[in-house]
Amino acid sequence: MKKAGLAFGDIFPLSREALGQILELSLSRGGEFSDIFLEHKVHHFINMEEDIIKETLESISLGLGIRVISGDRTGYGFTNDLSLEKVKKAALTAAAVASGKRGEHLISLQPVTSAHNVSPLSCPPERASLEEKISLVQRAYETAQKTDQRIKKVKVVYLDQGQSLIVANSDGDIVSDQRPLMKLTCSVISEKGKRREAGFSGGGGRVGLEYFSEKVTPEKIGQEAAEEALLLLDAVDPPAGEMPVVLAPGHSGVLIHEAVGHLLEADFVRKKTSVFWDKMEKQVGSSQLNIYDDPTIPHFRGSYNVDDEGTVPKRTLLIHKGKMVGVLQDRLSAKLMRMPWTGHGRRQDYTCIPLPRMSNTFVDRGEYDPEEIIRSVEKGFYANKYQGGQVEDSGKFTFSVSSGFLIEGGRLTAPVRLATLIGSNIDILTKIERLGSDLEFGLQTGTCSKGGQAVPVTDGCPTIKIKKMTVGGRV
Amino acid sequence: MAEDIVSVCRKCGADEVEVSLVSISEFSVDVRWQQIENLVEANTRYLSLKVIKEKRTAYATSSDLTRETLHRLIKNTINRASYAQPDEFSGLPSPAPELEIEIPALRLFDPDVPELEPERKIALAKETERIALSEKGITNTHGASFETKEAQLTLANSMGFLNEYEETLCSLSLGLQAGETDARAEGYWFSTQRLFKDIESPEEVAKKAVARTLRLLNPRKIKTQSVPVLFEPMMSSWLLGFLCACVSGVSIYQEASFLVNKLGERIASDKINVFDDGLLPAKLGTRPYDSEGVPSQTTPVIEKGELRNFLCNTYAARKLKLKSTANADGAGVGPTNFYLQAGRDQSSGMISTMDKGLILMRTIGHGLNPLTGDISRGAFGLWVEGGEICYPVSEITISGNLGEFLMKVEAVGDDLDFRTSVCGPSLLIGDVLVSGE
Repeated sequence: MKKAGLAFGDIFPLSREALGQILELSLSRGGEFSDIFLEHKVHHFINMEEDIIKETLESISLGLGIRVISGDRTGYGFTNDLSLEKVKKAALTAAAVASGKRGEHLISLQPVTSAHNVSPLSCPPERASLEEKISLVQRAYETAQKTDQRIKKVKVVYLDQGQSLIVANSDGDIVSDQRPLMKLTCSVISEKGKRREAGFSGGGGRVGLEYFSEKVTPEKIGQEAAEEALLLLDAVDPPAGEMPVVLAPGHSGVLIHEAVGHLLEADFVRKKTSVFWDKMEKQVGSSQLNIYDDPTIPHFRGSYNVDDEGTVPKRTLLIHKGKMVGVLQDRLSAKLMRMPWTGHGRRQDYTCIPLPRMSNTFVDRGEYDPEEIIRSVEKGFYANKYQGGQVEDSGKFTFSVSSGFLIEGGRLTAPVRLATLIGSNIDILTKIERLGSDLEFGLQTGTCSKGGQAVPVTDGCPTIKIKKMTVGGRV
Repeated sequence: MAEDIVSVCRKCGADEVEVSLVSISEFSVDVRWQQIENLVEANTRYLSLKVIKEKRTAYATSSDLTRETLHRLIKNTINRASYAQPDEFSGLPSPAPELEIEIPALRLFDPDVPELEPERKIALAKETERIALSEKGITNTHGASFETKEAQLTLANSMGFLNEYEETLCSLSLGLQAGETDARAEGYWFSTQRLFKDIESPEEVAKKAVARTLRLLNPRKIKTQSVPVLFEPMMSSWLLGFLCACVSGVSIYQEASFLVNKLGERIASDKINVFDDGLLPAKLGTRPYDSEGVPSQTTPVIEKGELRNFLCNTYAARKLKLKSTANADGAGVGPTNFYLQAGRDQSSGMISTMDKGLILMRTIGHGLNPLTGDISRGAFGLWVEGGEICYPVSEITISGNLGEFLMKVEAVGDDLDFRTSVCGPSLLIGDVLVSGE
C-alpha cells in the first residue's frame, strides 16, 4: 500500500503535520479520542434503456469528517470545504461533545499499512475508456433483448467508483487506501399475454475491467436476467403456511446477513437491543452452523484493506458449531465492551459516523450433497432469489423471495413467484437440519443499509434445509 | 455562481444547461438513556449539472467546488454528452414555464429554526426520552433524536430560469423496546415539520411511541385466513408510497408498472381520491417548482376511483405525449405531497364493524412488485373479534395486489395528518389474505 500523504497530496491539500494539529485541536475540550476521515470519491454511471445509451453521469465527492469520542459520546463535524479555517471549525464542532478540561496532546502521525490487498487489478476502472464501459453495457443489453421474443424491456446500468481515503487518529496512526468498485446490472421485463414478469442479474466487486472477460461476461449477465424473467412467466403463486424450506446456495446468504449478521453488530449487542446481547458462548443454532464475516476476500464487493477507522480487518468467526462466539466491532463499541477491534467500522462517506457493519458474511459449507438435501423433502418450498429482507432487533425477520420452486416428491417442480419468508432468527437457526457442501456467494451487486448509511456487501451460504418455516404468499 | 456555470457551459458548446446548487446546514443530536450519544453539525454545498448537446444528455455532480475541479468537470461533461445517443425526448422544459408562485406564501422557511440553540435541541430530545423511560413496561431505548436542517436551493438554466429559495426542516423522534430479551416488541414515533412551532411536544411523541411499543407485546400467531384489514395512517402512507412508484411516468414509459395504459380507467373504489400537490403551505413535500423549474401544481392522480394522471417530468411527459406535472426530481420523477384525501369515517367506527379482522400497524420486508402490483410483506398488528381489539399478532404476512386493495377500500378515515410527504388516512380494506400458521 502507498504511504499516506504522498499518493493524494494533490487531492487533499492538508499535510500530515496539519492533520496532527487538527487532531490536537479536536481534543482541546477534553475528548479522549479523535479521528479525521478524508475522502475523495469519483463515481461514473451509464444507463441504457429504450435501446439507447440514455445518459452518463460523473459524480465527484470530496470532504472530511472529524470525530471526537468522550466516554460513550460522539461528536462529529464534516465539511466539503477543505480550507484550514473550515476544517478547524469542524474540529471544534466535534470537540464540543466533550466538556472536560483542556487536554494537552502532541500528536505525531506514523503510517500504518495493511498486510493484504483486496483489489489487485490489471485494468482499474479509472484507466478504462468510456467506450469500453459503454460496450459492456451494450453487450449485456443486446444479449438480454435477443434471448427471446417475450423479452419486452431491458435496462442496463454500469457503475464504477474510485474512492481514495486517509484516516488519521489521535493514537498517532495515519492510513491511506484506494478502493475501486464496479458493477454491471441488467433488469428485464418479459411478457406473455397479460402476464408480465421481471428478471435481474449483475456482477462486479472490487475488480477491474478484466473481470468482465475472465469471470462474468456481460452476455452472461444479460442472459441470466432474461432467463429469470422468462421462467417467472410460468411461475405459480407461492404456497402459504408452515413447511420445510430449502434455501438455494449463494443468493440465500442475504437471509443470514439480515437475520443473523445485523444482530451481531456490536452496537446492537452493547445497547442490549439485539436478541443476541446475552447469548455469547451460548447455543443459538444447529451445531452444524459456522458463520464468518471476512473483509479480506480478494475482489469481493464488501472487502477492504483497512476499515473506515483505519483498522486492518480480520476474518471474524461469529457463530461456531451453533454457538455465538464473536461480534462485529468498531473502535467505540470495542472500547466500551472491552473487546478487541475486528476492523468492521464502516461509513457510507465523510458525512457519516462509523458504525459496526458487515463486509462479506457467509455460512460455511456443511457435509451434505445438495441434491440429497432436495431429495429429502417430500413437500416444501425452495427459495432461489431474493428482492431483499429486513430484520428487527428482536430477531423477527421477513424476506421477499422473487423466484423459487415448489418441492414435490424430492424434486424441484413448478417455478414460484413473489413469496415471503417470515420467522424469528434463533428459532430458524435451531431448525437448520442440513447444510450442503456447496458454498456459493450471491451477486456482487449488494448494498446494505443501516442508520441511513449504505455500504457495499457480499453474502453467501451453501444449500440449507430448514425443517419448518412460515411461507406467506397469495393463495 | 449557478448563472456563471450556465454561461461557461454554453461557451464550451452545450446547447442546453441546467445547474442546481444546494447549501445545507444541519444539526442532529441523539440521546440514549438520557446521555448524549451523537452530536453532529455540518455545512455543505453541492452542485448538480445537466448538459444537452445535439439531443445527447450528460449529468455531473460535485461537492468539490474549487474552480479547477469545476472547469475540468464541465469540460468532461460536455465531452461525455457526445457518448450518449441522440434522444428526441431530451431537453429542458420548452417553452420556458412562467413562474407565478409567490414563494413566501408556501411557508417553507422558519426563521426560528436557525436560531434554535443547541442546548434547546438537546433538551427536547432528552425530555422526550425521559418521559418514555418513566413509563412502566418500557425496557430499552433506541434513543431520542432531534434534527434540524436549513437549505438554500438555487436553480438556473440556459432558458433564462434563475430562482432560489430557502427551506427548513426539524424532526423529533424516539425508538423504544418493551418486554424481555427474547420476546421484545419495538415501536417508534416521530414528528417532522418545516416550522418549529408545528412539531409535536416531547409528551406527545413519547406517549405515542410508548403506546405503539406496548401494544405489540406478547403477540400470538394466527391461522391463515382472509379478513378485513384496517390500515393505520402510517400503513396507508406505505401503500400510497407503492402507488406513487406505480404512477411515476418513468415506470409507465418503461412499462414497469401495472398501471400502464390505464389512464381514464376505474382502478379504485369510488371513495378514493389521490392528489399530488406541491402547493400546500408548510407541508413537507411542498416546493415552488420542481428540479427543472416547472412551477408546482395540484395534480389529481385518482378521482372517485378513476386514474387521472401520471406524475411526469419533462422527459417522461414527452415520451408519453402528456404534460409535465412538475414532478422532476433530479434525473427522475418524485412526488411532492402525494396523499389520499381524508374521508369521514373514524377508525374506532371501522374497528367496531369488524366481526373478525386485523389492524395493520407495521410491515417489514421488500415484497412489492410494481409490474404486477403484487404485495407480500411481513406484518404486525392487532387482532379484532366482535368489534373489539383482542391481542397483538406477529409472524404473519399480508399479501394481495395493490389494484385489488384499492378496489376493496370500504371506508376512508378522517385522520390524514401529512406526517410524511406521501401519506394517507386510515383505510378499511375488505378481504385481505393474512398468512400465519
